[in-house]
Amino acid sequence: MTALLLPSLVTAVILYGLCRRVNVYEAFVRGAREGLLTLCAIAPYLAAILTATALLRACRAMDALIVLLQPVFSALGLPAEVAGVVLLRPLSGSAALAAVGDVLRACGPDSRAGFLACVISGAGETVFFTASLYLGAAGVRRSRHALGAALAAYACGVLAAGILCR
Amino acid sequence: MNIVFCVMLLSGVVYAATTGNLSAAQDALLSGAGEAVSLCLSLAGAYAFFGGLLAVLRESGAADALSRCLRPLLSRLLPFAPGEEKAMGDICINLSCNMLGMGSAATPAGLAAMKTMAAAGGNTGVASDAMILFFVLNSACPEILPTTMIALRAQHGAVNPADIVLPVLLSTGISAMAGIALCRLLVRGGEECA
Repeated sequence: MTALLLPSLVTAVILYGLCRRVNVYEAFVRGAREGLLTLCAIAPYLAAILTATALLRACRAMDALIVLLQPVFSALGLPAEVAGVVLLRPLSGSAALAAVGDVLRACGPDSRAGFLACVISGAGETVFFTASLYLGAAGVRRSRHALGAALAAYACGVLAAGILCR
Repeated sequence: MNIVFCVMLLSGVVYAATTGNLSAAQDALLSGAGEAVSLCLSLAGAYAFFGGLLAVLRESGAADALSRCLRPLLSRLLPFAPGEEKAMGDICINLSCNMLGMGSAATPAGLAAMKTMAAAGGNTGVASDAMILFFVLNSACPEILPTTMIALRAQHGAVNPADIVLPVLLSTGISAMAGIALCRLLVRGGEECA
């Protein structure tokens, strides 16, 4: 199914371009150049955010924060085991994936904690990474309430998941 | 972002110093930026490819046609400032790719849309209302099939690995609606934060 998606998409795009008498090759090269230039423009932002993330993970500050906040999670009706997943998801996709793996191993994939960890990780997004990409590409220096709103929306999603998965 | 970055770095260093973990901190500081560079290299191919495909879509008018179809919905959802609606084609592609779980196709379109909107506002370096809401939608976007999680659940022997689909959809839906509501409340003139 997914293997079919991209090839058929490419075929459709090329055929449509040909019908509209677009120089497909030239357009593709222009777009590829633009994509690569965008990537160069955002690379420094990524360097900054990934350095900060790597530091927080390596010095175990995240682990301490997770232990510290576990009672808060219990109070909110979320199993304490998912605290790591919830806190890591906005920071780093790979770290959150590892945390989900830990929960699945410890509690099993069909326990409430295991199920919830998967839902939260599937529903969440690496907010800080996305912020550095999107705001960086647009050259935004004053992001106003962007980060706050995105994190609040994420928190709502997590709480909703907690209520939905009883 | 300035505050976030400084808090992350300072608290990391202070915590490492108090727990005597400074050598790990040093390694992380030296490798973090390298990680970013190798990530960019691994992304470069996808960006070039999808950027190229997007340009064909744009120049053949398909992006315009798509945005005409979704215009009523999107212009109600995103508080466009004059000129920003030029980004609508890219926004449509970005949101639909996101829902289909094609992140590597969604991001180049999303970044192009952000650039267009920034240019429409004169590249002032201040995020507009539409730019903020678009970013929030990208960080709380419903994904129809969370394939990574389903695969991970299957690998751990879940009875029914795909049973997370509906809860994921519902909680991202709620998260997206919360984000939209918040941005609506905080339209230009509201308080600034972060």
